[in-house]
Formats: sequence, C-alpha cells, structure tokens
Amino acid sequence: MKKFIDESWLVLTMGIAFAALLAGAQTTWQGKIRENQAKALNLAVAEVVPAMDAEQERETLDIDGNTVFKCRAADGSLAGWAVQASGGGFIDKINVVVGISPDGSEIIGVKVVSHLETPGLGNKIERVEGNPFPYQFDGKSTATPFALTKQTPATDSEIQAITGATYSSQYTMDIVNDVLTRIVPQLPKE
Amino acid sequence: MAAETGNLEQFKTGILDNNPVLVQLLGMCPALAVTNSVENALVMGGAATFVVVMSNLITSLLRNLIKPHVRILIFTLTIATFVTIADLFLKAYLFKVSQAIGAFIPLIIVNCMIICRAEVVAIKNGVGKSLADAFGIGIGFTLSLLTLGIIREILGSGTFLNYQVLPKTVWDTHAWIIMILPPGAFLTLGVVVGVVNYMRERGKVGA
Repeated sequence: MKKFIDESWLVLTMGIAFAALLAGAQTTWQGKIRENQAKALNLAVAEVVPAMDAEQERETLDIDGNTVFKCRAADGSLAGWAVQASGGGFIDKINVVVGISPDGSEIIGVKVVSHLETPGLGNKIERVEGNPFPYQFDGKSTATPFALTKQTPATDSEIQAITGATYSSQYTMDIVNDVLTRIVPQLPKE
Repeated sequence: MAAETGNLEQFKTGILDNNPVLVQLLGMCPALAVTNSVENALVMGGAATFVVVMSNLITSLLRNLIKPHVRILIFTLTIATFVTIADLFLKAYLFKVSQAIGAFIPLIIVNCMIICRAEVVAIKNGVGKSLADAFGIGIGFTLSLLTLGIIREILGSGTFLNYQVLPKTVWDTHAWIIMILPPGAFLTLGVVVGVVNYMRERGKVGA
C-alpha cells in the first residue's frame, strides 16, 4: 500500500487539482457558451422568419421531436414558424432552421446553423451572400418534396445541386424534405 | 540539441533550427488540417502555444517529483487539461472560429510536438528555460501554420484574413479550390518544407 501511494500520489493529486480547474473553467464560461449558441440560433430564426419581431414572445413547441418556434410579428399576428431540424451530412451532422409561412404553405427560408462540410465546396450550403444554393428554397411551396438536379431547375420543386458538392446538397435537401413531409402537416392551425 | 544553451538560444531554436513543423516534422495533423485560412491557422497556433507553455511550466515545476515511469501519464494529464480549457475558452470567446475548427482543438492532446517538449526539455530543465523553449516552439509552430495558411487562403480563396486580395471576378470562377482542400495542404507543406531544406543546406537559415 505504501509503495502504491509513493508511486501514485502525484498523479492522484494532479487528477483532483486539474478536475477542479476544469470544473472552474466550465462554470465560468458555461453561461457565455450557452449564450453564443442561443445567439446563433436566434439569428438563424430571425433570418428565416424575417417578419418576426424580437420583442414579441416566442412560443416553443415540440412537434414529433423537432423544436418549432412560433414567431409573432410586431402587431402580434403570426409571422411564421421556425423549425429546427438536423440530419447526417457528408462529414458530420448538419443543423438547419427552416422558416415556414404562417399558413404552412410556403418555405420562407432555409438556414444552416452548423455543419462540418468541406470548405470551398460543401460549405456553400451556408446561407450567405454569394451562395445561391440555400436561397433556392425561398418562397417555394411546401406541398411537394424537392428533387435534386444538376441542370438548371425545370420545375419549382427542383433544386440545383452545388457543383462539386452533390452529397452536401442532397443531405441538406433531405433535411428540408423531412421537415415538409413530417413537421409541416402537424403545424397547429391558428 | 546543444547540451548547454541559454534561454534566448532555447527560444530561438524553436523558431528556426528546431521549428516543429518545418524541420522536426512534428504536429503535422493540425498543420495539414486547419491551415486552409489564416484565421484558422492563427487560432490553432495560439491554442497550441498556450498548451505547450502550460504543459512545459507544470512539468518543469514538478520535474523533481515525477517518477520516471509515470511521466508520460502526467504529461498527457496536464496537456489534456489545458487543451480542454483552451477549447472551452474558444467556444466562449471565439465562437465562430471554434465552430470552424472545433473538431481539431481536442486533437491538440495528441500533438506529439507538445509531449516532445515535455520529454526533451521541461522534465530536465528549470522553469525559465522550459518557458523559453515553450514560447519558441509555440511561436515557431504558429509561424509555420501561418505560412501555410497565407499561401492556401490566397491561392484557394483569393483572400487574406477574409479580405479580397486577388481580383474577385477572376478568382470567383477560377479559384484553386484544391488549395483549401486536403491535397492542397500536402502540396503546400511539401513545397514549403522543400524550400526550408534548400535554404538550410545553403546555410541561409540558422546554422
């Protein structure tokens, strides 16, 4: 026993000291980290439901396991729904927020909140200026699921894939299609 | 490594003669993985520098207490702790970058460059020399990553720290996308290491 303690007391002490240090760091920064994540989500919601007023209370629903935000405009009327959804990507999970019009008939916008797709190719699924891909969903009907094409889309339900990132395009579109078929029909009527 | 060197020498050797990435070829994983932009390279370099400094400091302070056969365990414990702290810090204060390179920060734990400094320098030397060594190696590592990051971001995206430096009209359609993809990392690293070796041969660097 004495030999055991002689050999290992330093490792044990350091283990405890470092655990305390980590607990301290975690406690100190936890709030800030949560705030960052919440801020990123809020920005995404505001982007896909632009009519939303930040001052209005936002109701959070759980529909079939997905978090759905009921967003209201400044006058209190329904501005739209923001559906949080995620699915497998080319490399890691893609997290998306889909904005749906108040009556559930139209997509307002699709915003990727986080992903690890290939820089330069797959990351063109990000909704920023210069990336046409995510904007293709804007204003489209929620009635029919989308299909991917490599040409210029012939119909409204076709989405043009990103050159060099067909899989990233496919997976992002799959997440949107899943929202259309599974969540949109279950949105409560107002 | 020279037997008896001063602190300044120890600091300089990490940047030039013993540059971890370009001469010792250590820490290749982050050098290849996160140098697709200058910003990512800087943050990775900063995080690794913080970890190597803290690891060398703790190891050097405890060097007379550490039993030889548990030393690797203690190095790993120390490194893992400070990597986790760096990871939490980035998530709290550099959220955007941490989202981009987040997966690679925990991998600093297995960056052999850091454990190598603990084993080669910190376990045998005083705090002053160990810290000088850590800062030298950390800065050498950051500068190497920065070199790769600058080349890859300019050629691959036409930007420097997200500012457009090459004509946008040309670069939007003809960017060398390969430079920001993994093959670009290998190509750039190979060329840079080649240039460094050539210059060392000719006695222009360090010596």
